[in-house]
Amino acid sequence: MVLVAIAAVTNTRGGRFMIPFIIRKVLVLIPMLFVISFLIFLGIELMPGDAVDFMIPPDALATISQADLDLLRAELGLDDPFLVRYGTWIAQVVKGDFGYSLQSGVSVRDLLAQKLPATIELSLAALVISTLLGSLLGVVSALNKGRLGDHVLTVAGMIGVAIPQFLFGLVMIVLVVFQMELLPVGGRMTPGNEAFFQRLDHLILPATVLGLSMTAGVMRYSRASMLDSLSKEFIRTARSKGIPEWRVNLIHGLRVAMTPVAVLIGFRLPILIGGSVVIEQVFQWPGVGQMFVAAVRSQNTPVIMMIAFFSVSIVLVASILVDIATALLDPRVKLS
Amino acid sequence: MKKLSAIVLFLCLAAILFAAGTQEATSLPAAWEAQGTPLADVRIRQALRLAIDMETIVDELFEGMAQRAVAMTSPGSWLADGLDPYSYDPEKAKALLDEAGWPADYTLDVVYYYGDQQTVDLMAIIQQYWATVGVKSSFRKLEGDLAAQLWVPPADRKNGPSEVKWDLAYAAVAALSENEFYDRFESTASNNSSIPWQSGLDEKVQATRATADVEQQKVAFKALQKEINANMYNIPLYHQLSFIYTSDALDIAGSTLGNDQFSFEKNILDWRINRADGTLYTNGGPMEFYEAPTVNPGLYLYQELLFDKLVNADANLTPAEGMLAKNYSVSPDGMQITFELRDDVKWHDGRAFSAKDVVFTLEYLIKTPGLNAVALNTFKSLAGAKEYLDGKASSISGIKVNGNTVTLTFSTLDPNALLTFSQWPILPSHLLAGSNPVTLQQNSFWQKPVGTGPFKVSQTVLGNYAILERNAAYYRSGNGNVKKIFMHASGENDSNLVKNAESGRIDYAWSKSVADAQSIGAIDGMTVNPVNIRYTRVFWVNQYPHPANIK
Repeated sequence: MVLVAIAAVTNTRGGRFMIPFIIRKVLVLIPMLFVISFLIFLGIELMPGDAVDFMIPPDALATISQADLDLLRAELGLDDPFLVRYGTWIAQVVKGDFGYSLQSGVSVRDLLAQKLPATIELSLAALVISTLLGSLLGVVSALNKGRLGDHVLTVAGMIGVAIPQFLFGLVMIVLVVFQMELLPVGGRMTPGNEAFFQRLDHLILPATVLGLSMTAGVMRYSRASMLDSLSKEFIRTARSKGIPEWRVNLIHGLRVAMTPVAVLIGFRLPILIGGSVVIEQVFQWPGVGQMFVAAVRSQNTPVIMMIAFFSVSIVLVASILVDIATALLDPRVKLS
Repeated sequence: MKKLSAIVLFLCLAAILFAAGTQEATSLPAAWEAQGTPLADVRIRQALRLAIDMETIVDELFEGMAQRAVAMTSPGSWLADGLDPYSYDPEKAKALLDEAGWPADYTLDVVYYYGDQQTVDLMAIIQQYWATVGVKSSFRKLEGDLAAQLWVPPADRKNGPSEVKWDLAYAAVAALSENEFYDRFESTASNNSSIPWQSGLDEKVQATRATADVEQQKVAFKALQKEINANMYNIPLYHQLSFIYTSDALDIAGSTLGNDQFSFEKNILDWRINRADGTLYTNGGPMEFYEAPTVNPGLYLYQELLFDKLVNADANLTPAEGMLAKNYSVSPDGMQITFELRDDVKWHDGRAFSAKDVVFTLEYLIKTPGLNAVALNTFKSLAGAKEYLDGKASSISGIKVNGNTVTLTFSTLDPNALLTFSQWPILPSHLLAGSNPVTLQQNSFWQKPVGTGPFKVSQTVLGNYAILERNAAYYRSGNGNVKKIFMHASGENDSNLVKNAESGRIDYAWSKSVADAQSIGAIDGMTVNPVNIRYTRVFWVNQYPHPANIK
């Protein structure tokens, strides 16, 4: 996607329109981020309790004095009114400071720096798997419409959409880890094997499960898109010109068919950050998803806000990238 | 599960039949009305207990992996003989309810704060048991500020009214000392929100703290248990067990397994692991930080192994020998403890351990909110602690240092003082002095803590794993071969424990989950060792006047 964007900006055909388009989009992003951040902050506020309630186990709460709990609240700034706390937070963010985890005191930026690489690694691997496999199988299915292969892939796709990720993950663990003993049960790395290729065996299973569970959607989308594309007049024109069938399908048909598929994949970028939560839990993957779940459970507002802010930003940036990709793939689309 | 469903179905039918048989509204005199709640009547509290068949619940719901409770105290030398077990007797329960004039239109408002399926099942079963004797009940899970909703006592400890808005609260009490079970029965206790002042009860509670002699303490506790049992001031349900899981690769060299919620001598330096690299696998590695030893000083294995205490406890959690203290002595009246510190101890960063660290730790932790009540009580019992906390003194006058000897003088007797010093570790003053004790857990120290213990932090990948390595500079060596401890990252409730055990990557771990114990018990090469712990599930019964919450 990044390459697509760079290509788009430097593209001679679209370059004229591209830069003002991006500036306009980014300017719209800023107020949107403010509004969304306020709504998320408000949502956390409306949850019962606060971070202090989760610092001390419920059984032990009976033995801690209310005065001590209040002292801790005051020290962590939790006793200020809602608007004051939001104002403080947003003022810090404007200065580039996302605050500190209420649980550990570690800066939220450091936390994200620790966890984000793991999530990006997993998400990108899954995205590559689902994009390549989904597009390929979708096209194969479309080109074999009505035949056995199409039916098999359609049914497989429906199962892929329906099966819950955690169940798929656990089944794969039982088969691949416990029965075949091929791959480790979880985690991102083991001591002494921390370089990317040394820990690749840890990535294979979660990325495959996440990727395959996303493949079904891409496959069904690309199949429908390809069928739509193949029914267009320009395809008939191409065939009538005597262009070879493979060229008609793959060059003329596929290019147009990939436009909606690119949109789908583009919008999956942000889902990958939050969408890997289940997989991260099942495979003990130390990523943002696990951190987010823990932060929500413990009402760790600065961490929730940072991740939410980051996810929202990706959604918005992804929408720009989708616009650009669409323009590049489909000659009929103009950014102006 | 089928048996469980059958019980629920049977109870539903019984409840319907009972309801059909009691169509006519009774107009018995309500003896309890002057007291402001039916729960003030001991007969009603007894009836509620008699109506629950805990034996069947333990056998079916917990598959026998729990113990029915007759008191807060688990069976053993601390439990009085001859307590009424209130065995399941629905007919007697009905008779008591009738005798007390139970208002048939009253719905008990019952609260709980656990969200696990077992709790939900237990609540549903108890609701049906009560329905069979004609007691309607409604259960709700509390969220948010639990302390404010559960434990705020009334201003008037004798007459109320209640500050909390429930009839019964299902809770657990995890106790390091017996006092943690019973101190809250005292009318002045800051967490006694449900039991009004009763003639003679406070004195019985105070008697448990009035002596340092263990045998005398037992006598006092037993007298208190009888009083509580006869009056059913709360309703004990069951004692939870903990389960320690060990792999065939591990030889714990004859060590006794104990309550792993706290620290005890495991002799881990003598353990032998049958793995070529000498690595022992466990769980409980840090997700975001290493937990500071405040509310839970020994919940995680790393807390126990990174930090030494002044005194070492045995598997029964009884202070048994010196640890950082080479020797220690307690004065006959229990009002003074003298520790002679070892002079061969170094922190993991190479700095020498000294009496300065001991003084720092006591004066620091006493100001840390969330410090466990056992430790807080010990520290507050020190002479001069109040002046120190009030800001009138810069140090606690009851702590005196003479070279390597630390003498603690108490202004009030704390029978659990040695217990405290066997569980709460000494922290490094050179790394924590000057930091804010209120936000101890938020200190960056807990990203890579430094202790004096037999293992030290080698590597931490938060949320993935952490490695402890044997501390070559430790003052004891041991005969074992465990060089490293690999800790899978997890919280106390580890959803990945069974998977990791199945893949051969758990050699030692523990949990309180019956489901974990069942699953791990079925894995070849793993052994489940049930251990009794002081962990009791109860209903607190709100006996202060309060209006019916459900109308």
